[in-house]
Amino acid sequence: MKFDISYTFDAIPRLLEGAFITMQVAILGFTLSVLLATIITIARTSLRSKILNFIIAFYISFIRGTPILVQIFLIYYVLPVFGLNLGPFTAGILAITLNSAAFVTEILRGGLASVPVGQFEAAKSLGISGFALWRKIILPQTFITSIPPLVNEFTMVLKATALLSLITVVELMRVSQQIYSANYHPVEVLSGTFIIYFLMCFVVSRSSAFLEKRLKVKRA
Amino acid sequence: MKSKFLEIKELNKKFGPINALKNVSLNISKGEVICIIGPSGCGKSTLLRAINWLTPPDSGMVKLEGKIIGSENGKLSIEQSKLLNDFRARMGMVFQQFNVWPHLNVLENVIKAQIVVAKRSREVAEPKAIKILSDVGLKDKIDEWPDNLSGGQKQRLAIARSLAMDPVLMLLDEPTSALDPELVGEVLSVLRNLVNEGMTMLIVTHELGFASKFGDRIVFMDGGEIIEEGAPNIILKSPKTDRLKLFLEKLDITSLKEKH
Repeated sequence: MKFDISYTFDAIPRLLEGAFITMQVAILGFTLSVLLATIITIARTSLRSKILNFIIAFYISFIRGTPILVQIFLIYYVLPVFGLNLGPFTAGILAITLNSAAFVTEILRGGLASVPVGQFEAAKSLGISGFALWRKIILPQTFITSIPPLVNEFTMVLKATALLSLITVVELMRVSQQIYSANYHPVEVLSGTFIIYFLMCFVVSRSSAFLEKRLKVKRA
Repeated sequence: MKSKFLEIKELNKKFGPINALKNVSLNISKGEVICIIGPSGCGKSTLLRAINWLTPPDSGMVKLEGKIIGSENGKLSIEQSKLLNDFRARMGMVFQQFNVWPHLNVLENVIKAQIVVAKRSREVAEPKAIKILSDVGLKDKIDEWPDNLSGGQKQRLAIARSLAMDPVLMLLDEPTSALDPELVGEVLSVLRNLVNEGMTMLIVTHELGFASKFGDRIVFMDGGEIIEEGAPNIILKSPKTDRLKLFLEKLDITSLKEKH
């Protein structure tokens, strides 16, 4: 069987539709995970509760210690047991969020460690405390130093969304499967898929360099 | 007798087995400049940080303009906790390591707390910030990022940031100790202006020259206690206790060594 590139070109419009869903899932899942990780980071730093810290450590080690595919299936199949029928899209986003939040929490921990204690003290001495202290002073500094690992984590999330095809989310991978199971040309179709995934990740990781450069230029 | 402006009463603080503050009491009247000296680890920084509750003391209280923070068991009442932010904003604090905010430019460093804490509008906060930055000689730096400033400029920015909150009292924790020798002068001259404007100040310092010239009172601490206090010419020229004599001798030897 010889490689016929016209099958690739024919597939591209539908593949791009799938890529659009992939992007949506990745952006939504990652945004929610950053939000969750930020809340976890603030809670564990300011509450200093042993029970809470234990729960967080427990959660992180379970997420990191099990395959993401198992996590996705578990959330997809376990929630209906409790009467929650979320549908594949929502279940997929939930799985991605819970998985990524564990890694983002670890990233933010590193970023936070790079903010000197004196930054908190200076703010407190001026009467800035509570949420304002985090929002205006601490979090901006934490996120600036965390940009490279956060962008890296986003590309991981982007690639992990391909696994959601297994719970029937119609994203890029699922669309590819649908196309080649109809035309029997998996190599041509998957080549297109391959390149689209690569381009998306490439643009994202370049944006890291751009963001870093911009923020450094702003400060230096 | 002068009225009590700031009253520090029986502050105690332990770090593990170490007594950082042992029953420290001090009364300060308005406009007074107090220089706190003493060997490292004597509790002088802890005292400063206990006054604005950055390091909450185990017991004792601080009274500023009639408002009390603290209690015998060191716990704050709910009303006091609510007051704490205002209480802190009344006292400007300047740190040895400057602690300016690197993610905000010079102007925003001075505006931020005005908007967040004092609830001023940007229209009010900005001209005020520019005025204060001019006073400390940073007018041409307002768009700069703190990372691009010298140590002396950073410290002047930190002082400006505190002054923007209209403090009635300044707490300065070794404001010149982290500076290169040639940059000490510019910070001291800003402090000198504050003294001349009648600002009440508590300064932890090793600059005995500054202390003797501008301090109304020198407080010598050792082992978490106030050992001696009094007018600079009395304290520095005729120390009563051996501990202070020893401390001053050591300083003299170091300064001689530096000269040769």
